[in-house]
Parts: sequence; structure tokens; C-alpha cells
Amino acid sequence: MNQAYNPQSFQYDIAQNPGARPARDVAVSFKGLSKTYKMDRVEVPALKGVSGSIAKAATTFITGPSGSGKSTLLNLLGLLDRPTDGEMEILGEDVTKLTDKQAADFRAQHIGFVFQSFNLIPVLSLRENVEFPLLNRKMSWASRKTRALEYLEAVGLGDFVDRRPGEISGGQRQRVAIARALVSEPTLLIADEPTANLDTKTSREIVALMDRIKVELNTSVVICTHDTDLITPGSAIINIVDGQTAGEY
Amino acid sequence: MIWKIALRNIFKNARRSVTTALAIGIGGLAALLFGGFVTSIWYGVQTSMIQEQGNLQVYRNGYLEFGAANPDAYTIKDWDKVAALLAADPMLAENIAVITPRIDLAGVAGNAETGNSKTFIGTGIVPAEIDAMRGWDGWNIGQVAPVTGLAAGGQESVIVGLGMARLMGMCEALSVPNCQDAPVDASTLVVEEQDFTSLVGTEAGLADQGNGTEKPQLNVMAATSAGVPNIARVGIESAQAQAVRAIDNSFIMMHFEQARGLLYGDSQEATALMLQVADPAQVDAVKARVDAVMTEAGLDLSVYHFTEVDPTFDRIFGMFTFMFIVVSIVLSIVIVFTIVNTISMTIVERVKEIGTIRALGFRKGFVRALFLTESTMIGLIGALIALGSAILLSNVINAAGLQWTPPSNATPLTVQLMVLDNPTFAIGVVGTLVALSFLASVWPTFKAARLNIVESLQRA
Ligand SMILES: Nc1ncnc2c1ncn2[C@@H]1O[C@H](COP(=O)(O)OP(=O)(O)OP(=O)(O)O)[C@@H](O)[C@H]1O
Ligand SMILES: [Mg+2]
Repeated sequence: MNQAYNPQSFQYDIAQNPGARPARDVAVSFKGLSKTYKMDRVEVPALKGVSGSIAKAATTFITGPSGSGKSTLLNLLGLLDRPTDGEMEILGEDVTKLTDKQAADFRAQHIGFVFQSFNLIPVLSLRENVEFPLLNRKMSWASRKTRALEYLEAVGLGDFVDRRPGEISGGQRQRVAIARALVSEPTLLIADEPTANLDTKTSREIVALMDRIKVELNTSVVICTHDTDLITPGSAIINIVDGQTAGEY
Repeated sequence: MIWKIALRNIFKNARRSVTTALAIGIGGLAALLFGGFVTSIWYGVQTSMIQEQGNLQVYRNGYLEFGAANPDAYTIKDWDKVAALLAADPMLAENIAVITPRIDLAGVAGNAETGNSKTFIGTGIVPAEIDAMRGWDGWNIGQVAPVTGLAAGGQESVIVGLGMARLMGMCEALSVPNCQDAPVDASTLVVEEQDFTSLVGTEAGLADQGNGTEKPQLNVMAATSAGVPNIARVGIESAQAQAVRAIDNSFIMMHFEQARGLLYGDSQEATALMLQVADPAQVDAVKARVDAVMTEAGLDLSVYHFTEVDPTFDRIFGMFTFMFIVVSIVLSIVIVFTIVNTISMTIVERVKEIGTIRALGFRKGFVRALFLTESTMIGLIGALIALGSAILLSNVINAAGLQWTPPSNATPLTVQLMVLDNPTFAIGVVGTLVALSFLASVWPTFKAARLNIVESLQRA
């Protein structure tokens, strides 16, 4: 995966051209993905055969009106849910037939999540929150701690490591969440409305933070938002309308 | 990290955690105190019985089954030689503190003054040896029985039950408290007086021998092994309450030699040999050895544990054990419901956290472990509360010196709640509380781990 990566470095390359798109290696490809929710006896088709791909080490924005199926697609990409139909490959691996345990292990290895409401564990300090996903790894206690600190410093929160999530601002919480998502150096970073709870200025900083890490970490960042102002120039965009792809750029 | 999360959530929900731990703690406290009482019964009642009967008793084969109907056919012949044989064995000599004979007898007793008479159930013992046995405290529980009070008196002194004294019209003479002599019914007395007079007359000069004291006199009559009525005049040393009313009403304790003379004349016969083993841990080994020695000598005798002869202890202990089990089951149900409630509330509050943890790639087992750790820790805290408060409270209660009289005893025992004296039990209660906390949360935590990730994340 991401050998010899120094997380400190991405703080300083923000000035570099963010629009530089690498060769379109594909991290995720999906074909005819559909998802139908069953509520009591009513069937709600949330996705109706969506196809597309996510480029490696690039940022992809998923846009579309409310209720169009953006979150549903992200949940499928993040292996949090199973498609009703369709195919999906991540890093060339067919992931639609993974068992529950395999899916969990795959997420632990390859996928990081950033949520709209941060979802930090309230009783853990910032450092412990960032360290938390590393419990899935065979790592020494000390190296877990060191790695968590590095990532907290990378998101600019090196001075707050011992605070609890309740003691910092929303924007800071989302930075911690990003550090937590990245600490296991995932292939795919999935963020569903990561800025919906933040003010405009902070939202831009958060998107910029996620956008700029893609090269160093060789991570594919998928951000779902309906605020099109946030879209970084040069990023890929998948537009979903009424459960179908309405455009891919 | 799991420990940290669990512990911090316990502190975060301090009130709920404390309530739950207290429920567990109070349940555990009740179990420990009641168990401590049952333990004290186990030691106390057995000690009482061992002080009275020894740990082991030797009988002629068949005595326990048929001896009551025909005691003379089931006596130990040459009991003194049997006792000597046992005492000569090095292992037994080392372990047995007292070997003493006993004769069980029954007959008719009459008040020499008033002519009142009634049947009696008697026991003939060697007072000095019984007094030695009554000092036994093999488990070091500080329980010693008062001496018989017979050792100082002569061969002819006896002790009667309080009821016996009352029925024989000797309340005043023996200064029995709360007792009025029964009204004398002249019409019935005449016949019995005649009976006795004629019998006493056959025993040359017995009535006149007296025993040289001012003790109230009693004529005791029993049938010899040959079936001939025999009579002795005894002096009542004191009246002592007996545990069972029916026995209290007819009880006479006399010197072994007195009883033997009455029943067997010069023949060295006894109903039983009572053996007191100094160290209760050695009882089974001693029993086996006694059995071996007697078998080797070709004796038609068997050795029994006192509980085999007298089921009182097993019954008392069984009753309290049963009560303990019922109480424990009720307490366990309450505890289980409390824990299920608490852990379910915790889970409901943290559904989103569960979804997050699962999204981060942790398997279901991690989620289960997280909440099981939390409930088990609450259980452990509750168990420690239980243990601490039980030690504290049992010391207070023990210091208060409350008394209770078990069904087997005439005299009360001091309540000593033995919480730590039976470490296996105390550890067992603590372990059970922790295990209950764990087991009670298995079902809720399995449900938590099975929650749909997407739906969990959608929670507010
Ligand atoms: N768990 C569910 N059960 C039933 N229906 C659902 C569930 N989740 C989503 N849906 C439905 O599926 C459709 C797509 O929902 P989805 O959350 O993917 O939309 P979205 O594009 O993310 O919307 P928004 O921008 O408001 O977040 C909607 O009609 C929604 O009501
Ligand atoms: Mg959505």
C-alpha cells in the first residue's frame, strides 16, 4: 500500500496544484448497482442500476438532489451495505460476495470513513480516537500511539491530543475524524456530507484537507455533497438523480 | 482500549452504573450474609452434635435397623476390650481424642416422695469423658458446651429434663424456673405406689440405702437383659432443658456404670461407643481405620458417622441450604433483569457508536466484547460492594452477639455469620455475580452486534 509515507508532509503541499490529475487508474468500478429498501411491504428503489468508477489517488465528488441515492451509493462503495443487484470491484477484487467478517476485515484494511456528524467516540481522547482503528492491526502499543500522534499533528491538532471530542469545535472534530480515517492508510476514503454540520469557511478547509492527501496516501477520496461550491476544480464528479447516474465528469 | 471505553462509560453514566452495581451489591450482600449464616450452622450445629455424640459411633451390626425393638440383642459385648483395641492402634490413638461408651435405656421412673411415676428415656454416659467431649472445638469457632454437671456427683446422681422434673412434681425441689408442680391425682397414684413398693421391696434394702444427700430422689426401673425388672434409686443433680419436648419430658442422664448395673449387671455391655476425632479433617480416614481394625478382629460391629445415626444435622443443613437456593434464585432473577435493563439502555444510547465501530472495520465480536466488558465490570464492582459490605455488616452482627437455638440444641448458639470463613463460598458468590452480569448481557450484546450498520449510522 502506502509505503514510507510521512503524514507530516501533506501539510506543506497545499500550495501545490490540486488539479493535477494522475493517470486514471481505477480503484473502484461498479456496474448496474441497484439497491431496493424494503420497508414493511413497500419497496423503495434507492438505486436503479448505477455504473461508474472511482479513480485511484483522486477525489471524486458525488452530487445530486436530496433523496437521489447518494448515501446509498456510498454505503455500497464502503461495504456497509449490500447491493440488491450489480457488480462491484475494489482494487480488482469482487467485493459483492464477501461474508460479513470478510467485509469488516476489508473495511479495516482498505476503507476509511468520515461522517457528517463526526462520530467520534466521546469517552476517548483525540489521540485515542485516532488510535482506535489501529486496534485492528498487529501493532505495538507504542507504535500505535506514535502513529496516532503523527496523524493528529498532520491535521493540525497536535496541541489537543488529550482533549475529549466534546471539548473542541465541530471543524476540529471533523479533522480528528479525518485523522482517524487516514491513520490506517486506506485505499478508499469515503465521506458522506462531511461538511453539512460546518460553516462555509470550515467546510472549505475540510474539503481541502481531504483533497490534498490523495496523492501522498495514494488514496481515492469520495466525497458526497450537495454543496457544489465545495467541488475542487479538476475533480471527478458523479451526479446521481433519482437513483441513476445523470452524468459523470 | 476496550477496558478504557468500558470503564469511562461506566463513569460517564455514573448514576445508572451505581444503581446497577448497588442492586448487584445488595443481592450479593444478602446471599453472602445468608450463606454466612448457613456456614455458621454447618460448623455450629455439627460442633454441638460432635460435642454431644462424637464424630463417629460404633454399634453392633443391625442395631440401627433393629436395635430399637430389641436393644439387648444388639449391644456391644465387652465394650471395654473394643475400646482398648481401638486405642491400641497407633493411627487411631493419634487421632481420637475421646472414646467413651453409652447405654441407651428406657423404663419407668418414680418420685420416691410423691409417688408420681412415668416412663423415661435414659442415657448412661461417663460424665468426665462427655465433659471432655463438650470442650471440643475442632473448627475453632469458639463454641464450647457446658459440662454435664454429673462428674462431681456420685455414681447415683442423674440429670433429668425440665419437663421430666415438672411431670415428676419436683419443680420446687429442683428450683425449676417457671414451673409449678403438677396437681397430684391421688386415685392414680395409689396403684403405682403399690407397684413400686412391692418392687423396691424385692431389692433388699434399696429404698433405705438412700444416697446420703438431700437431692430429690427418684426410683428408676428398667428391665435387665434377662427380662427381669431391676430398680435403682438415684438422686437428681439438676434439671436441664432438652432440645425436643418429648424427650425433655422423659429424659434422664445417668452415670454409665449406673445404667450398666441396672441393665447388664456385671456384663461389660454398651449400646454404643462414641469416638471423638480431634481434627475433623481426619474423620473419614479414622472411620476407615476403625472399620479396618474391627473387621480384622472379626468383630460384628460397624462404625458410623454421627450424621448417619442422627439425621438432624443433615435435615437442618438441608433446610437452610434449600432456603439459600430459593433466595439465591430470586436474587439472581432480580440481578439479571437489572443488568439486562442497564446494558440495553447503554446499547440504545450508543447505536451510532456501534455503527461507527463496525464501519471502521471491527467485527461483531468486538462490539460484543465492548459491552460484555462493561457489564462484567459493573458486575465486578457490584460483587466487591457485596463482599465489602458483607464483611462489614457480618462483623457488626457478630459483635452484637445475637443468639438463636437450632432445632438440635437445647441451649442457644451465638449467631456468627461466617462470610470469609468459607472462602470457596465467598469466592463463589463473587464469581456468580460477575458471571451473572456477563451472562445476562450476552443476549443484548448479540443483538447490538447484529444491528444493521447503515441504520445505526443514520441514528441521530
Ligand atoms: N434505511 C432505509 N430504509 C428505507 N429507505 C431508505 C433507507 N435509506 C434511504 N432510503 C431511501 O432511499 C432513497 C435514497 O436515499 P439516500 O439516503 O441514498 O439519498 P441521498 O441522496 O443521500 O439524500 P440526502 O442528500 O438527503 O442525504 C430515499 O428515497 C430514501 O428515503
Ligand atoms: Mg445522504
